[in-house]
Amino acid sequence: MKHPLFRFLARRLAVSVLLAVGVTLITFTLTNLVPGDPAAANLGQQALGNPAIVKQFREQNGLDKPLPVQYVTYLGHLVQGDLGESQQSHRPVDADLAEFVPATFELAGAALVLSLVVGVAFGVIAALRRDRLVDQFLRVTSLAGVSVPTFWLALLAFYFVFYRLRLAPGSGRLAPTMTPPPHVTGLYTVDAAMAGQWDVFAGAVGHLALPALVLAAYTIGLLTRFTRSAVLEVLGQDYVRAARAKGLPGRVVLLQYVLRAALVPIITVAGLAFGSLLSGTVLVESIFAWPGIGQYAYKSATNLDLPAVMGVGLVVGAIYVVVNLIVDVLYGVIDPRVRSTT
Amino acid sequence: MPSLRSVPRRAILPVLVASAISLTACSGSGSSSSSSASGGKSLVIDTSFNLKTADPGRMYEQTGLLVDRALYDTLLTFAGSDVGKPVPALAESYELSKDGKTMTLKLRKGATFSDGSPVTADDVVFSLNRVRDLKGNPSFLLDGVTVKKVDDTTIELVSPKPNPALPFILPNPALGIVNSKVLQAHGGTQGADDKAESFLNGQSAGSGPYVLESFNASTQVVLKANDKYWGQTKPTYGRVVIRNVQAPTQKLNVQRGDSQIALDLSADQAQGVGGGLQVAKGASANVFFLLANHSAAVSKTTSNPKFVEAVRKGIDYPGLLQLAGEGSVQAAGIVPSMINGALPADQAPKRDVAGAKAALAASGIPNPKVKLEFPSDYTLNGLSFQPLAERVQANLKEVGITVDLAPAPIATALQNYRDGKEEMGLWWWSPDYPDASDYLAFLPGKLIGLRAGWKKGDAAALESAGDKAAQTIGDGRTQQYQQIQTQLNAAGPITPLLQPSQHVVTAGTVTGLALNPVWTIDIAALGSK
Amino acid sequence: MIRRLPEAWRRPLAVTGLVVTAAWLIVVVAAPLLAPYDPLAQKFPRLRPPGGEHWFGTDDLGRDVLSRVLYGARLSIPLTLLLVALSVVIGGLLGACAGYFGRWVDETIMRVADLVFAFPTVILAMAVAASLGASLRNAVLAVLVVSWPAYARVTRGLVLGLRTREFVLSGRLLGFSVWRSLRTDVVPNVAGPVLVLATLDIGTQLLLLSGLSFLGLGAKPPTAEWGAMVASATQVFDKWWVGVFPGLAILTVVLAFNFLGDTLRDALDPRTARAIKERAL
Repeated sequence: MKHPLFRFLARRLAVSVLLAVGVTLITFTLTNLVPGDPAAANLGQQALGNPAIVKQFREQNGLDKPLPVQYVTYLGHLVQGDLGESQQSHRPVDADLAEFVPATFELAGAALVLSLVVGVAFGVIAALRRDRLVDQFLRVTSLAGVSVPTFWLALLAFYFVFYRLRLAPGSGRLAPTMTPPPHVTGLYTVDAAMAGQWDVFAGAVGHLALPALVLAAYTIGLLTRFTRSAVLEVLGQDYVRAARAKGLPGRVVLLQYVLRAALVPIITVAGLAFGSLLSGTVLVESIFAWPGIGQYAYKSATNLDLPAVMGVGLVVGAIYVVVNLIVDVLYGVIDPRVRSTT
Repeated sequence: MPSLRSVPRRAILPVLVASAISLTACSGSGSSSSSSASGGKSLVIDTSFNLKTADPGRMYEQTGLLVDRALYDTLLTFAGSDVGKPVPALAESYELSKDGKTMTLKLRKGATFSDGSPVTADDVVFSLNRVRDLKGNPSFLLDGVTVKKVDDTTIELVSPKPNPALPFILPNPALGIVNSKVLQAHGGTQGADDKAESFLNGQSAGSGPYVLESFNASTQVVLKANDKYWGQTKPTYGRVVIRNVQAPTQKLNVQRGDSQIALDLSADQAQGVGGGLQVAKGASANVFFLLANHSAAVSKTTSNPKFVEAVRKGIDYPGLLQLAGEGSVQAAGIVPSMINGALPADQAPKRDVAGAKAALAASGIPNPKVKLEFPSDYTLNGLSFQPLAERVQANLKEVGITVDLAPAPIATALQNYRDGKEEMGLWWWSPDYPDASDYLAFLPGKLIGLRAGWKKGDAAALESAGDKAAQTIGDGRTQQYQQIQTQLNAAGPITPLLQPSQHVVTAGTVTGLALNPVWTIDIAALGSK
Repeated sequence: MIRRLPEAWRRPLAVTGLVVTAAWLIVVVAAPLLAPYDPLAQKFPRLRPPGGEHWFGTDDLGRDVLSRVLYGARLSIPLTLLLVALSVVIGGLLGACAGYFGRWVDETIMRVADLVFAFPTVILAMAVAASLGASLRNAVLAVLVVSWPAYARVTRGLVLGLRTREFVLSGRLLGFSVWRSLRTDVVPNVAGPVLVLATLDIGTQLLLLSGLSFLGLGAKPPTAEWGAMVASATQVFDKWWVGVFPGLAILTVVLAFNFLGDTLRDALDPRTARAIKERAL
């Protein structure tokens, strides 16, 4: 007899594969709807005036075939793990992605950690001081966090913190005079720590701090609000009251019961928040000259670099699918009712 | 739950404080650690990338020209800012035949590639043939030119028609000489089946003062000094990092000392940099122009010559120069001021609102409404197209013309432009080579003329004047080009607007900087004090 | 459903939110009277810092920033309200159908919603806006594409919950038509939560819409639009006033609506409030 969780997982997995195909179809359709000609974007002005060169460009990139053929061809290559070659960088798209995805991952990951630490702390404080001044203050702060336009905050942070106050180091991932650490994960902080290059580690963290903080503003607000209500709910439950009645000291009650109970829904929300962090990178990366997929996506999209755009779409879609899957599994593990209704 | 509430304040606040402290500590240590990593002086150049490849045979973008100028030597070159006279490089001398069809070059002895092997006549033939036959962006530079090795030190370039521009074309970094043996070992050929591009994006194979350490078309390019450089003067900087940074950030970086050169600042951005920094400025060779489609099939409005006259008289040129900032100049004709054959500044179009209104009335078009397309995501010398377009819109509104702005990403905008479907457009032209013949593209039936809906035969006299100028050598050449531009200004669909200013901000220690219209700056010529 | 409403209004956040919203709505109506200059007139010295004649300074084309910020409200606020109204109607209808009819209707609608959720909102909206061509109308359409599923999910959940409740079931047993039971039993019970969600959503949509304009995919120049104004400020970085004020305008409007929405949600019963919070992430 199959375990219900297994069946639940299998079903979700099948849906995920369908979603992934849907993602490629949508990305492909949208990119081809964009008015414009990849040849115009990738050839020089003089070369563009030469039909022979334009024809060669189209043939090389398979643009001379009808769209459905192009799509099927793409899927065929995709099944073999071939994402094609970027028309701009003239490199395989997976090589490009291998370079840019870790940068974004590092930024979004740092922002997520920051949001979890700050957001959960704020949320717990607010819940415990419910309706007091601190709670009101944190409420306004968290609302401000979800209300501030990320692109504007990035600009402000860059102008004031970087330019006027000179608190943050320069743009990019590392000072240009520093050599990146040996590539293992692609995350500079992790790689530098693994190689024991502590000056590089410090440099990478320093470069990471400001953009991560800007990016985290929204998710900090989100997590503060969610944690607050999650903790309030736990605090109101019978077993917490019972534990207190048994005479356990307040601190132990808090850490053992309240946080543990509140943590799972919080992590679930954090998983979902990762998505909004990925969205945010599109706006933040350009201002901080962060070489991540946000910039890569924007540049590829405006240059109609179809293989690159498809690659980005797939990666982002895959991350979403995986995150959603994890979230659903967590729900399924915690709350068996979900298995039957989802 | 009063007792519960009192506990966590102590438990949690220290965590927060600690994390805040670690943040500031990290950012503090990051900024102080920008010391040189490898031996020799290192140099950081910030520029807004327009870069696709480092392969000279395929490269034709602004940043690629900057990079390849340092990696590959060409047969001839320009000294500093002076593009009026090609000077020897890998060729020690050259001669152009009287009919202008044959160019003979004598190769220099003793030049070597970065792997130590000598630069030979075979390498030259291979390199130039490769560029011509790749069907790449720079192929047009050598259209129809035959490359012949006469002997081990003599090269002959033969053109089907008189080609007086050739000495001005050869300095283009796209025509850099590559090591043919190395290239052939890595898939290099002299034709469209060449596969050497990815190799050349990993390392260079030239004889220039620098070699390629790493290349990334969207983030940064790192050059290091060529240990085996054959030239007399070795480059000052051992390692050069060229980073992709948007113009506003370039300014901040150079002010903070994170970089030594900010390459493409607009005049606004370069204002008040202060702090021991140097500003090199001059008019750029790029020309912004306004296109009004000549084809009645595209637009009944812009194909009316009186309408175009109204536009030309309606624009407030000094006002546009204010937007472009100090150092920018009005483009008198389509040929920029630093190239022989440019129109004198006093012959530039002038604003005449009354004349514009009269012309508009004479056009017989009541309340004309036109669509102006321009690239929204492109900057040239730090200047974006949008403010210029908005100002043109305001200017023409005063005359009585309603302009509907249609910005689009450059890929989209370029397509309409190339297909000749734009009613009006705001575009630019950068010289392919510093010779007035490059600007014949603006005549009817030619590259830009066609984009403006100006077909062959639409202005027969002008076209034959162009054909004549293209083949004229020596005397009278300048006058011919000036006359062509006067006619273009009087009746053409193109209105030249301005040459933006080029501002390069450098740290006080950088010396020897000269602005060059083709490759912006020669990195190897930079010194230090 | 909405309990404790009177006391909710005594809260300072609600009052602040209400006052700021009211102030901005006045600006929307009276911008031409309040603005000192024509927002499009390029007749002043360029890049003047804030001062006596130009409280918010002038921009890179010599236009009065204050006038542009005030006129910007006229564009962004009504458009966002319209946008949210459209999302509510479209998402609400689809969600109600999914919840009420179940089976393949539910499956189809919710899988499409899943597909939309499988993309980061900004990136999908960006892609849609880019493929439709940059204009304000297309930006609104793009935001609409990503915003309806949230309402569909919430409405579906609420309708699912209601469908099995006795008063709805008895209505069906009495022979009421599907539409009648939707209209008389379901809609009134769903309206409250959806309204709260919509209030909270106004801020989100305004952020998204101005974000698209910031990326050059929204309002066309020379229209005074806040996101586009911040975008032009990135070119003249150290002239802070060009970008700070339009950004502040976005922040205050979004914050005010969020204050209102937050208060309204507190006034709802906690279970529904939690459903909204979880679904609306």
